[in-house]
Amino acid sequence: MRGVRRVALGIAFSFFILSLGLVYWQVVQADTLLKDKANRRLILMESRVTRGGIFDRNGEIIAQTQTSKGKKVRVYPKGEIFEPLLGYSTVKLASSGLEANLADWLLGIKKVSPTQAVQQLFALPRQGDDVVLTLDSRLQSIAYNALNGKMGAVVALDPRTGEVLAMVSQPSFNPTNLEANWADIISREKDRPLEQRYFSLFPPGSTMKVVTSAAIFRSGINTTDLYDCQGSTMINGQIISEQNDKSHGWVNYNMALADSCNTYFATFGVQAGDKNFLVAAKGFGFGQKIPFEFNIPMSSISKATPIPAKLATNLLAASTFGQGEVLVTPFHMALITAGIANHGVIMTPHLVERILDPTQNVIFEQKPQPWLTALSKEEAVKITSGMVTAVNDGTAAPGAIPNVQVAAKTGSAEPGGNVPTHGWYIAFAPADAPRIAIAVIVEHGGTGGGSAAPIARQIIQAAMSQKEGVK
Amino acid sequence: MIHRLITRMIILGILWLGLSVLKWESLSSQLLWQALIFTAIVLLGCLMEQILHYQGDPYILPVVQAIMALGLVFVVRINPNVALHQFWWANIGQALFYAVLWAMHDYRKLGRFRYLWGLLAVVLLLVTLMFGSEEGGATSSFKFLGIGIQPEEFVKLALLLFMATYLEENEELLRVGTVQWGRFSLPDWRTLGPFIIIVAFVLGILAAQKSLGTALVFYMLFVLMLYVVTERALYLGISLPIFLLTGTMAYMLFRHVRVRVEVWMNPWLDPTGGGYQIAQSLFAISGGKILGTGLGNGIGASTVPVAISDFVFSVIAEELGFAGAMAVLVLFLIVVMRAFAVSLKAKDRFGQILAAGIGILLGTETLIILAGVTKLLPLTGIPLPWVSYGGSSLIVHFILLGVLLNISNATAVATHSLKNKGREYAT
Repeated sequence: MRGVRRVALGIAFSFFILSLGLVYWQVVQADTLLKDKANRRLILMESRVTRGGIFDRNGEIIAQTQTSKGKKVRVYPKGEIFEPLLGYSTVKLASSGLEANLADWLLGIKKVSPTQAVQQLFALPRQGDDVVLTLDSRLQSIAYNALNGKMGAVVALDPRTGEVLAMVSQPSFNPTNLEANWADIISREKDRPLEQRYFSLFPPGSTMKVVTSAAIFRSGINTTDLYDCQGSTMINGQIISEQNDKSHGWVNYNMALADSCNTYFATFGVQAGDKNFLVAAKGFGFGQKIPFEFNIPMSSISKATPIPAKLATNLLAASTFGQGEVLVTPFHMALITAGIANHGVIMTPHLVERILDPTQNVIFEQKPQPWLTALSKEEAVKITSGMVTAVNDGTAAPGAIPNVQVAAKTGSAEPGGNVPTHGWYIAFAPADAPRIAIAVIVEHGGTGGGSAAPIARQIIQAAMSQKEGVK
Repeated sequence: MIHRLITRMIILGILWLGLSVLKWESLSSQLLWQALIFTAIVLLGCLMEQILHYQGDPYILPVVQAIMALGLVFVVRINPNVALHQFWWANIGQALFYAVLWAMHDYRKLGRFRYLWGLLAVVLLLVTLMFGSEEGGATSSFKFLGIGIQPEEFVKLALLLFMATYLEENEELLRVGTVQWGRFSLPDWRTLGPFIIIVAFVLGILAAQKSLGTALVFYMLFVLMLYVVTERALYLGISLPIFLLTGTMAYMLFRHVRVRVEVWMNPWLDPTGGGYQIAQSLFAISGGKILGTGLGNGIGASTVPVAISDFVFSVIAEELGFAGAMAVLVLFLIVVMRAFAVSLKAKDRFGQILAAGIGILLGTETLIILAGVTKLLPLTGIPLPWVSYGGSSLIVHFILLGVLLNISNATAVATHSLKNKGREYAT
């Protein structure tokens, strides 16, 4: 009888090995295999799930799946306005943008509680979750129209919460009948409508001076002292010149920021030293991964490493006013602006306000969370006052709005080569209690004040005309 | 009685819940009638056990019926058009099971035919090889009166009976051996000859039919039964080099064996060609994750080839998840272990050997196909007992179950009855 027992034991052990095999495939390898390109499971799965809708903060439909005669059609009532942020989702072209990034919510396969999982076992066809975004269709469409015909990007945030109110990249494309128009869209090589320009890296130009300001404050330099701007200066054998070689005369910090005086910032930025500058830049999020629904390229101070340990004097001088090797995304620039507006604290940016399951229960809600503390409150107040002066009596004047005090900074960044500069404009309003922070870039638009400021002005005006607290 | 009834209610609950989840409207009324007949047989069987004082193993039948119910639900799920046949065979199988359980007064009479069983096995296989039709790469089915028969399933029954008879008869000689060969004493040719010849014939014909899975099952059955009876590790030791040698020879001689092994080693190399079956099976299994996609929601039922027979487990693992797959595994383990328990309790040697053989057969069949679809072993297509679509397999496994429970019941009756009705055999 020993034989029977041994064989029984052997078979039981083999069953145990078999169950380990199941653990391996169903738990350990499950996600890897799901992503295998030979596995058509997700595509087939998608055809049975009705993709959830995407709505803006006021409940306006941005994307929705409609069923007509048994056929599911994804409709985008706002057309080009939300592209390329919104992306697309088709069987042939797969998906991109928010349609891809939020797919697990929209298909209802993320964060399923055990009871929901059991319910789903018996419910088919399935309905995906609805996503409510923080975006505001009105601001989005104003930003889209203001930027129309140009190449560039607009990002608007609520500095108090990190909610993204508008995110525009121009040129964009029409998501309706995408498969038919696909060849045409990808052939537009010069305007690259699929590119999300708010995530592209640009030299920040003079908008960088708000970052340099923090380094200057911390080095103990007296910002009320006057400095004689003569239109150009020599630092370590390198000539630093003003835009159009214009001399600003005697300026203090406030006036230097308002007039966007390169020599002031180069001189005192170098005096403050590379340590202070790099710490300030890191504090604003340079060389750091921005926590967001999308992957955003890191902004960097030097080509070799995003935040180098040391910065040579010549490169430091150029970096203080956003040239040299400094690169930043418009999205990050909006966050920097929001940080100044929010007394130095940069809130974690987010696009998803809440997720609703098919029965409209809230299953996820984004809470405001601080990301970085870039400045002390005093530092933020000082920079704000400089930005206010820039609007009232400086380069940022084209962005001024009657009855609302705007704080802003312009930038004209040289992309290298003999091409027009990129026009930058960063702003927040109202200056004493900001509700919106914005970054605008117009590629090869010339000066920031000329090209980008009018766009920002329209958006801020629209945001200010909305009553606070009413969604 | 109450206990018995509750287990049956659970089993019927599995069936009817499963069918209702799969939507009533799409099921034909004939199918529902068959399901009702299935229900009636289960309940009548339960009543009969009460009336006739069934005293055998109380777990095996309910567990098998649970597997059967699950199998029926999944056959309906995968292909409702052929599910009617499966219900027919399930009902006929159950009827045959009860016939074997109650009508066979003395299972020892099965041993009377000795070598006839072995001969029957060989003849069945030979006939299939000569007149059988090819299906899925293997020449293993046979048309008879318009019904496709898989003779190799019936060969399982015949061979099992032959093995049990032969081993009981020659137990001492096999155990001790009469010929000294180095340090080992082996049985002489007269003892071993008939066994070796029939085994070689059966395995040879199966190899010629390209039924590699069935050949593997039989090989395991021969070796393990020999070991169970003789308890000599020597036989296991001899069987391993033989297996490796024939395996290597088959690998070098036959292209389809080579392809199988290569696909097993790396199915991802060509997941759309040779590796398609196993890759789809693994995609389905992994798609189930912990709780599964839900009955009827899986993708595998339409993408995995031969989902209804060989790969039925992949579909179950997808739709019921790890939880459901483990449940199926445990159900099979219970049946196999209880079969060994029946073997340990049986009063006579023939019953012991036969019950152990049934346990080994069920265990190896389950292991080989499940290890195949989960890529633990090279894939060799054989049906999963009571679950895969196929009448022959169902009928044969129900008959085997009948024999097993007949042994179990006879043992219990012999132990309990005060009057010895000639059933108390020497052990």
